[in-house]
Amino acid sequence: MKKFFTSALFKGLVWQVIGFFIGAGLVTGIRALMGLSVTDTFFFTEPAWVLGAFFGALAFLVGCGVTDDWIKWARGIDTPDHHEEHWHGWEKYINVSLDHKVIGIQYTLISLALIAIGGTFAMIFRTELAASELQFLTTDLQLFGQNGPQLYNTLMSLHGMVMIISILLGVSGIINYAVPLLIGAADMSFPRLNAFSYWIAVPAAVTLISSLFLGGFDTGWTGYPPLSARAPVGMQMFFLGVFIAGWSSILGALNVVVTVLRMRAKGMTAMKMPIFVWAGLATSIIAMTATQFIGLAFQLVMFQRLFGMGFFDPAKGGNPILFQHLFWFYSHPAVYVFILPGLGVISELLPVFVRKPLYGYRWIAMSSIGIALVGFVVWAHHMFTSSMNEYLRVPFMYSTLLVSVPTGVKFFSWVATMWKGKISTPTPMLFVLGAIVVFLMGGLSGPPHATVSTDLHLHDTYFVVGHFHDTIFGGFVFPFFAAIYYWFPKATGRRMNEFWGKVHFWLMTPSFFVLTFGMMYVGLMGMRRRIADYDPALGIDTAHLILTIAGFAIFFSVLIFFINFFYSIKHGEKAEGNVWGSRSPEWQVPSPMSLHNYPTPIEVVGEPYDYGLKDAPYIRFAPAAKGKSKH
Amino acid sequence: MSHTQTKSAALMQGVIIAVYLAALTVLEYFVAVAFDAVPLLIIVAVIKGFLVLYYFMHIYKLNEADTDPNHDSYAYKTVTNRLGLWLFLLSDAFVFAGLLVMRANLLGLSRPHLNQTLGLVVTVVLLVSSFFMNRGETQMAHGDVKGFMRNTLITFLLGLGFLLGVVVVEWRGIPAIAEPILHFFGEPAGIEPLTAATGNPLTGPVGGVFFMMTGMHAFHVFTGLVFLAVVWNNARKGVYTAEKHWGVEAAAVYWHFVDLVWIFFYPALYLIGKVIE
Amino acid sequence: MQHFVIVGILVIVTTVLTYLGLDVAGLAKQQHPIAASAQSASIDQLWHWEMIVISFLFALIVVPMVYSLIVFRQKKGEMQDGEHMEGNTTLEITWTVVPLFIVVIFAYLGGWSLGEVNRVDPQALVINVKGQQFTWTFEYPEYGIISNELHLPVNRQVVLKMTSTDVIHSFWVPEFRLKKDVVPGRVNDYRITPTLVGEYKVRCAELCGTSHAYMENPVIVESQAEYDAWIAEQSALVEEALKTPEGQGRLLTVSNGCTGCHSLDGTPLTGPTWLGIFGRQEQMSDGTTIVVDEAYITESILNPNAKIVAGFPSPSVMPAFSFTDEQLANIIAYLKTLK
Repeated sequence: MKKFFTSALFKGLVWQVIGFFIGAGLVTGIRALMGLSVTDTFFFTEPAWVLGAFFGALAFLVGCGVTDDWIKWARGIDTPDHHEEHWHGWEKYINVSLDHKVIGIQYTLISLALIAIGGTFAMIFRTELAASELQFLTTDLQLFGQNGPQLYNTLMSLHGMVMIISILLGVSGIINYAVPLLIGAADMSFPRLNAFSYWIAVPAAVTLISSLFLGGFDTGWTGYPPLSARAPVGMQMFFLGVFIAGWSSILGALNVVVTVLRMRAKGMTAMKMPIFVWAGLATSIIAMTATQFIGLAFQLVMFQRLFGMGFFDPAKGGNPILFQHLFWFYSHPAVYVFILPGLGVISELLPVFVRKPLYGYRWIAMSSIGIALVGFVVWAHHMFTSSMNEYLRVPFMYSTLLVSVPTGVKFFSWVATMWKGKISTPTPMLFVLGAIVVFLMGGLSGPPHATVSTDLHLHDTYFVVGHFHDTIFGGFVFPFFAAIYYWFPKATGRRMNEFWGKVHFWLMTPSFFVLTFGMMYVGLMGMRRRIADYDPALGIDTAHLILTIAGFAIFFSVLIFFINFFYSIKHGEKAEGNVWGSRSPEWQVPSPMSLHNYPTPIEVVGEPYDYGLKDAPYIRFAPAAKGKSKH
Repeated sequence: MSHTQTKSAALMQGVIIAVYLAALTVLEYFVAVAFDAVPLLIIVAVIKGFLVLYYFMHIYKLNEADTDPNHDSYAYKTVTNRLGLWLFLLSDAFVFAGLLVMRANLLGLSRPHLNQTLGLVVTVVLLVSSFFMNRGETQMAHGDVKGFMRNTLITFLLGLGFLLGVVVVEWRGIPAIAEPILHFFGEPAGIEPLTAATGNPLTGPVGGVFFMMTGMHAFHVFTGLVFLAVVWNNARKGVYTAEKHWGVEAAAVYWHFVDLVWIFFYPALYLIGKVIE
Repeated sequence: MQHFVIVGILVIVTTVLTYLGLDVAGLAKQQHPIAASAQSASIDQLWHWEMIVISFLFALIVVPMVYSLIVFRQKKGEMQDGEHMEGNTTLEITWTVVPLFIVVIFAYLGGWSLGEVNRVDPQALVINVKGQQFTWTFEYPEYGIISNELHLPVNRQVVLKMTSTDVIHSFWVPEFRLKKDVVPGRVNDYRITPTLVGEYKVRCAELCGTSHAYMENPVIVESQAEYDAWIAEQSALVEEALKTPEGQGRLLTVSNGCTGCHSLDGTPLTGPTWLGIFGRQEQMSDGTTIVVDEAYITESILNPNAKIVAGFPSPSVMPAFSFTDEQLANIIAYLKTLK
């Protein structure tokens, strides 16, 4: 326990509280001097909460110690390049480490924590939805300053955003852990920036979740004004939490781009990189540039609330549709940030379990970049019913449908990779296969939204909810599990339990099919999104009961995963070698990886996926260098 | 470290570019007053931007051949750092691009009624500060630490002048500044928009756009000043040499970026479109 | 070669089965809910074509995958490699260009369908629609009628001119297949030609706050004769109502959308029910008990946040209204009649 109280995590949290009170106190003090009210529904006034939360986040960062080296640099003091790690065992993960492997795991852990929180919120409102009429989230209920339906809206909205943040962090986790290993680097280009990008996510998550206790908010994760301009204080915590989390995304992505361009092993030309690196690169290009727009959109609403600036207020001449354009300019490319790494995991793992080259490597690599680029010009397909310019909808329909072409390339290549292979199906491969099928369903349920006229019916119904759960589970959740099962031995030197892994898969997957088909079905029957209660006359009560049961099955399967995960760290079957028989560089050295990854630098001498060819290694270890050594 | 130019040649180039920038700014102002031609104003801004990007920010350095295979060498790491800095500026540019989109959507072909003399003065001050920044960086590249410190101090003072000119003089000179401040500290309902009282249209989205654009830019000027103070202080401590002064290059490039943004914000706020009376 | 033949057959079979499965679920040719507008024709048609292609693509990917899993299985315990196939440029070009072609065709069809949906009838009937938290109000400008129910004559194009008084809502009747957002500060057009007599509901399709789920109003499509009769009846009611204070009060509550949150039948909605409201004892959120009288009602309308009944959202979701003293008196007179 003492180890926790001296950790960076604890110190950061303490400083976040201190910083909060300084910021809130400052605003409250000035208000008192000006003779204005100093308290409100949730004790502090809204401006006090906002400045307090902002100061709190900054204080966390300084207090946890992740900015220490930079502060030294500002004072002209140099710091050693190669850092030694001061903590061992589980303490590593609650303290500041500059090792990308530790940071990757830290990201993964916080992602899993947020998945648990977001999933729990979903189970609460999914239970309410099991039958029409309100059962327990009724108007009589009063919790955190909200009645039942208000609480429903908050839980539903937070489910969305908490899950989205968990995806962004999970994506950062896989990329951080794997990319330097895959390119033969000792670490990322900017290790301190890497640590910073992780640690900033902690106060961001705290701020986001605090919205639940500050009156919640009723806008969904999209936060459209004018509704968001008049929502309770919790709305501001939502905006600020996401804004801060955006920094994690941007800075992390920048690091990845530079690392891929600058830190590759000798001989690793662009077309000889492991395919996951291409996925990471494409993802990072998006995250590094588009994220600014959601930050700006949210910042504008925050300022509208705090300073009365009428950006989106029609009464003052503002334009609510502008918010939607700014918001979706990021939020559509964001979904490619969610799925490109997962699709990269599929491409990376398939050859290993099929023992065959990745079919059409170049095209798959280019398709990731293609999806990223085309993904920038489709955003308004979220706004077909918004009363945006009528004719502009047509080009967006074309561009949206166009994205399915590079995506299709991936699917066909995956099928061709499997064809005439020698296929085995341990747990990671099961999740890869599940990912392909589920993502296929997501991708196929997309075009009805892309064509404007059909979207006029489908928009804001549960059909969309089915569509995006398919794409998200197929593009992120399934591959995330696959990646964890796959690289777990690399990180710990032990395997996760294979039997329980299969239970996880076989419980989750059929339930998930039921869930998404069910969602699409009720949507087509007339069920709208984001409603706490639905019309019994729609005749979808039974369907909803089935959906809730399916949801619980998924929840329990993930619980099984969590138990397996944590248990196997210390008690899993030992697996210190090349467990999967992979050609990839990281599997050519024993597990767990040593501190700076490759004691002897690697050189690329062949193709990454030449399974089936004799004497065609991918890498070799550099012959003893004359004079210069790395450490 | 090899220099492609001698110190005096590099300094002279800085002077020439500054003269071009000044001339283009004067041209810009008169084009706006005389013609109100939006495409022409954009072209002038792009040319000014290119001059800053190439001659002050040295964007071509991104293309420099990097033959040292040792990933741990200072040279290799500097090229890596440079790439990181430029990607950061690229991502920051998206924020300012978003602000320009917001301005275009909410204001269209109209612009706020602002003090043109003040606008021209602060613009010139910022451009001149870039000139001195370039001078300082050139001097550091040639080992002249004292020269660097002198010029950086001038840059700092000019930058501070810009900041005060915008935030203290210009913002306060606008009656509508009171409304947002009161809104922040006051009750949300019950404050009469000052349009009624003063007839000044700088409330509502017009004011919002103005304050948000100048405010975000001013925030970057402020962080730029902090950065300048840090490298000035480190130079004083003897941290930098002609061969190793990455901190200086970073501060200088960041400062020029702040100037680059203003090159586009100035016409967007002061010159393009019809005034809202 | 044999593999390809088997897979080919299985793909066709699976396509047909998938399509049939979708059809049985009412998701292919015959869709739910029943289509009730002229505009739905091209939409349902396009959807049907999309389902056909989706069935095929699903089969095209899943069948070879499952086939490979069975036929090209690694024997247990072995670690043999598969055939070394890196790619085939012709194939890869094909599976890029053919989907591109299909995509362009569907985009074109999408454009066609949108054109069909947007056909304008210059003689369309104009009805003004107001969306607010949490009800819809429909105004028939020619007749001076305001109602919370939308009545439409069958087989005639109607253009709804829609705006919102507060936040963004969205007008959707599932049977009509069209929706359009309702945005404050804008008037958006929604053109529809109902073709099937019946009772439907307009359901708000953009999250608008606490009671978004309940923002549903009746939409009645009837024959021209029935429609005319309704218009006549409503006009008469308006005339009658204008003669008495209670009637004028009732008209005010309709045009201001009060019944979106205050039911007339005893159900607590977003706000307390009006059935039996006057003279009722209410427990307030601060623990006190009050009796609903003229003063309380006046205060609640002009300043809804002043006193909130226990169990209802606090701060209040109700917007503040500004009525004249006469209007307030009329509303109170009307409320007194709701026993």
